[in-house]
Amino acid sequence: MRRFRHFIIVAVLVALSTVGLRALFSVILALPRASSAEAIPIDALFNGHYWMIAFLFSLIMVMMLYALFVFRRPADDDSDGPYIHGNTVLEIGWTIVPTVVVLGFGVWGAITLNDITSPKPNEMTVNVTGQQWVWSFAYPEQGDFASSELVLPVDRTIVLKMTAEDVIHSFWVPEFRVKQDLVPGRETTLRITPTEAGEFALRCAEICGLNHTQMVATVRVLDAAGFQAWVDAENAAPAFADMTPEDRGAFWHSAEGLGCVACHSLDGAPGVGPTWQGLYGRQEELEDGGTVTVDDPYITTSIIDPNAQITAGYLPNLMPQNYADQIAALEQEIQAAEGVDIDIIADLIAFIKTLE
Amino acid sequence: MFKTLRIILTSALVRGILGQLIGTALGYGFIAGLRALRGAETPWIYEPALAFGAIIGVIGFLIASGVLTDWLKWIVGRRTPLRHGAPEGKPEWSRYFNVDYNHKVIGIQYGVSSLLILLIGGIFAIIFRIELAQTGMQWLNNNQFNTLFSAHGIIMIAAILGGVGAMINYLAPLMIGASDMAFPRLNAFSFWVSVPAALLILSGLAVGGWDTGWVGYATLSLRAPVGMVLFLLGFWVVGFSSIAGSANLLVTVATMRAKGMSLFRMPIFVWAAVATSIIQLTATQTVGVALTMSVAERVMGLNFFDPSGGGNPILYQHLFWFYSHPVVYVFVLPGLGVISELLPVFARKPLFGYRWVALSSLGIALVGFLVWAHHMFTSGMADALRVPFMFSTMLVAVPTGVKFFSWIATIWEGKLPKNPPTPLLFVLGAISVFLIGGVTGPILGTIPTDLHLHDSYWVVGHFHATMFGGFIFPFFGALYYWYPKMTGRMYNERLGKLHFWLMLPAFWVMSIGQMSVGLLGMRRRIADYDPALGIEGTQVLITLAALVIGWSVLIMLYNLVFSQRRQPVADPNPWRSRGPEWQIISPPPEFNYNVPFEVVGDPYEYGLADTTYIRDVARASVPSGD
Amino acid sequence: MSVVNPVPAGNPAHAPSLAAAPGAPHEAHVEHGLPHAQQVRANRLGLWLFCFSELFLFGALFTSRFVLWGNTRPELSQVIGLIATAVLLLSSYFMYRAEMGAAHGDRKTFLRGALLAAALGTLFFIMVVVLEWNVFGLEANLFGIEIFGHLSTADGVYGGVFYAMTGMHALHVLSGVVFILIIWWNGRRGRFTPEDHWGVEATAIYWHFVDVVWVFFYPALYLMGTVAG
Ligand code: HEA
Ligand code: HEA
Ligand code: CUA
Ligand SMILES: [Cu+2]
Repeated sequence: MRRFRHFIIVAVLVALSTVGLRALFSVILALPRASSAEAIPIDALFNGHYWMIAFLFSLIMVMMLYALFVFRRPADDDSDGPYIHGNTVLEIGWTIVPTVVVLGFGVWGAITLNDITSPKPNEMTVNVTGQQWVWSFAYPEQGDFASSELVLPVDRTIVLKMTAEDVIHSFWVPEFRVKQDLVPGRETTLRITPTEAGEFALRCAEICGLNHTQMVATVRVLDAAGFQAWVDAENAAPAFADMTPEDRGAFWHSAEGLGCVACHSLDGAPGVGPTWQGLYGRQEELEDGGTVTVDDPYITTSIIDPNAQITAGYLPNLMPQNYADQIAALEQEIQAAEGVDIDIIADLIAFIKTLE
Repeated sequence: MFKTLRIILTSALVRGILGQLIGTALGYGFIAGLRALRGAETPWIYEPALAFGAIIGVIGFLIASGVLTDWLKWIVGRRTPLRHGAPEGKPEWSRYFNVDYNHKVIGIQYGVSSLLILLIGGIFAIIFRIELAQTGMQWLNNNQFNTLFSAHGIIMIAAILGGVGAMINYLAPLMIGASDMAFPRLNAFSFWVSVPAALLILSGLAVGGWDTGWVGYATLSLRAPVGMVLFLLGFWVVGFSSIAGSANLLVTVATMRAKGMSLFRMPIFVWAAVATSIIQLTATQTVGVALTMSVAERVMGLNFFDPSGGGNPILYQHLFWFYSHPVVYVFVLPGLGVISELLPVFARKPLFGYRWVALSSLGIALVGFLVWAHHMFTSGMADALRVPFMFSTMLVAVPTGVKFFSWIATIWEGKLPKNPPTPLLFVLGAISVFLIGGVTGPILGTIPTDLHLHDSYWVVGHFHATMFGGFIFPFFGALYYWYPKMTGRMYNERLGKLHFWLMLPAFWVMSIGQMSVGLLGMRRRIADYDPALGIEGTQVLITLAALVIGWSVLIMLYNLVFSQRRQPVADPNPWRSRGPEWQIISPPPEFNYNVPFEVVGDPYEYGLADTTYIRDVARASVPSGD
Repeated sequence: MSVVNPVPAGNPAHAPSLAAAPGAPHEAHVEHGLPHAQQVRANRLGLWLFCFSELFLFGALFTSRFVLWGNTRPELSQVIGLIATAVLLLSSYFMYRAEMGAAHGDRKTFLRGALLAAALGTLFFIMVVVLEWNVFGLEANLFGIEIFGHLSTADGVYGGVFYAMTGMHALHVLSGVVFILIIWWNGRRGRFTPEDHWGVEATAIYWHFVDVVWVFFYPALYLMGTVAG
């Protein structure tokens, strides 16, 4: 009978503690706003897990503290506790019940996963490329232009087709809940359906080297009309053939182009690589002790074989080694699309020359 | 004074370090020299030379320190007696600086180096935590920050492996009634090989650090700063220690148990040690392959992971996590064993469901092998692969749960002391901390929620809680509990309690704070965060908590060091335990049991009068323990 | 300083209940060790555990091969592969003879077997490193068959996996040869007896293990999958 009373008290305490903890979690373990359709089933699953955490934690802690405070012995009591060796029924019980519970959560998780990853009607594709340490986005269905911010229409399922140029990165907008790595050499996909207009921050979630911290991009979710207006404005951008080499150079420097901006500032600010301000004609000291004057051949080598001459104070291996390939591919693409030959490196040099 | 210095300077430790320096210089010089002969432009800055030098350096350490001497003698057919006791003409303490074959000495060597390394890792954490207290960059740059957290991760893990080695080495032979481990020389090798490994990792910091975290994912590892190579090689060498140590333990338990000690009559800690060793013996090899491949790709130009040559960066992750998931159970199983070991003693009740607790260790170890891909839910695996891994991950909760429920049932109606001594406090604290660490696991194991939580500070909170609850707290508890056994003296109880009451709340603040910021969008491994997240207040709290933990650990160190002199001599069996190690004098004699004992009962029969667990084979029945 | 000792010190009820030598806790310079038979049993178990552990090393390489190559393989010299495999299997046979010799006190069989096993092992090693790896960059053919391999470390994953698998295995072969030479040398000095030849037994187990690994590696490298252009 005494035993029975203990269990009743414990049950009440556990129940109270569970509810209290769950309430506390809403404060100290709050989730960010939910701004995508995917966030809704995921948050429901979070809620389920929170209840389970609150309950299990209460169960064990209440019983532990109860045992500590109710059954404890005074300092001069040397006697032993009751001789209870074990109880097979109990053991089987607390093996089976958690098994069923966790498998239940597994099923719930699988259903939710299927929910958020299965194709939806009227999807729109955006290609995402990650590169140390910039993001770029291309819109194949809207005229195949590139953008350095991710602009999305509201209430439409977006299929992000993602890849990385160099190392693994990861796409994470906390308000959208879902996350997906960008892996070099393969394409990964992620579906998101923004449900409210607004501005969000996309932050790279996988350590990707020196400037991982700063690998961020803006995500803007617009209503349908606003999105269309943005697409039209982007498409109105002039063809490469119509641009001056300097303008093209500025474009290549940006995240939409080759992403040089990730490391080379234009205003003299220090970065991972030397600033481009006043670069042309400057005397540079090299790591191996020599000096060079920055001229066309030097810039060309620095782009296609960056480790050949490292400027003093900078680290080797940081600059992607595959720019020669990237540039050749781009030039071919432009040749195919616009029928003109463009020399990207010459554009860049022309642009650098303007940066006094 | 001068003599002390001479003893230290001629010790195996110092000789080994010198050997490592010389070896490194030779290896480096050899490759770089060859290049110079070939007329290369900058022959002296060359990564392969560094890698080669590092390997030769480790060999140099091993030879110079003398761990290999006996084996080398065997090759030429000389039999070598197992040397015991302090080196000729040197004081007892010099054993700890020299190659010694006694498992208790090696255990203490492991323990002390583990604490030292813990300090280093902890200081790193405190440095970068201060940076993270505020937004904006205060006193570190990106590269320093990246290097610090990467080093913090791997150094702490090395510290854990050392602590696990300490507990297993010291306790397991004592508990099973063996005079030593089955292969004392191999045992010494396991410890000593981890010293040059630690030095390698630390020197990685000196040559420029690295920025991959402790996981070293390809393809970033191929482009990271040079420290990467030393990190990879150091991690690799630690593997030797794990494999040799675990094989040794398994053989010891299999062949050297006291008469009558059937498997289900072993002290429960030994079961944990066995389960741990099974994991270490096998899984370590696959991470070895992953690390070897990374070094080969980086240094020799072979291709495995870089997609531009057809490689597969995800392969690295599979090989890495096939080890590194199971290894988290290496971290906790001995700690959980300590909890299971101590609770019956303090509750004066049998361990509830001994067999289930014993088998749950094996269960955790085995299921632990089937879940590794839960670290890769966002890597782009097909659903057909990641969903099964979700289910297997959920299942590890079950054997772990068995332990928790059995612990509660053990203390239920038990007679815990009214004024719990420090070891008991740490054990109860460990239960609470490991519990929160554990229950924050399934939410990570469920894919949809993990898609939000992956690579966020929630994960950081989860694993600090599991590692503190499963290792740090039990390990500290074990240090206090067996302190009188190891030194013959009692630690200072008041300082012990102070340590606990500082560390537990601080830890809770730190861990819950980490989970909280993670949910709100704090990514892992970043040097600075967006003020827009609104988490600055919590970040300050986490940093303050980290400082409190740091101070509390310093208090413990003070206690452990100074109690050896100042505290009264301890009772041989201060906890009234039935464990075999408490039935002999403290510290135990060189070969533990001068007269072998035999097992005639079950280990945890508290509460049953006139039961005997062990008795001297020679003497007639003497009731043991109680 | 206050000590909260749960039990008053010196309580006679808690004096050591097992016999313990009085005096210095660490009694130095006492010879100790397991009885010979028990030590050999322990050694044997330890060695098997080591092999079990190595299984995961080779297993990881083996698995990587299937991940990276899938159902393809590079073009390798089938003749060298076949001969090398035969040579290694033959060496296992001689190792077996050597062990039997040692077990029966037949010194001559033992020495000859060991030497042959070492020689064949070395031959295998040479075939892999000199012929198949072609470390000297040679070019030659015999009866129209290329005898030097042409895969290089720069050949993408084909080079990578091939060099990793054969390299790791060759390292084991090399250490096995060294062990065999050590027991051969000790055997010549008469250091093994039928009762006490653990060194020979251990080397034999290790050597057979390394051979068995090759039995799996050989088809994975030379036979399975279609040749990639
Ligand atoms: C000691 C270390 C330790 C331990 C014991 C655990 C235990 C567990 N871990 Fe943890 N984990 C780590 C250390 C550890 N982990 C580390 C270091 C990382 C990060 C690595 C990195 O990226 O750097 C990590 C990351 C990690 C991830 C990847 C997260 C991500 O990066 O996205 C996942 C995902 O599934 C996970 C799950 C689990 C689970 C399910 C358990 C389970 O074993 C927990 C089981 C315990 C309980 C559940 C509590 C008690 C049980 C009961 C009371 C019974 C009833 C329970 C239920 C009904 C649920 N862990
Ligand atoms: C056993 C393992 C272990 C332990 C004990 C700790 C202890 C601590 N960890 Fe650690 N941590 C890891 C294992 C561990 N960690 C791992 C594996 C990672 C992942 C790395 C990666 O991402 O790859 C990690 C990552 C990690 C991060 C995330 C970094 C990031 O992603 O950017 C953070 C951030 O808060 C952190 C904080 C701390 C703190 C504050 C402590 C404190 O508890 C430390 C307390 C200090 C001591 C124990 C030492 C004693 C103190 C002193 C000697 C100094 C005293 C001086 C003063 C007080 C001034 N750790
Ligand atoms: Cu890109 Cu982190
Ligand atoms: Cu895991």
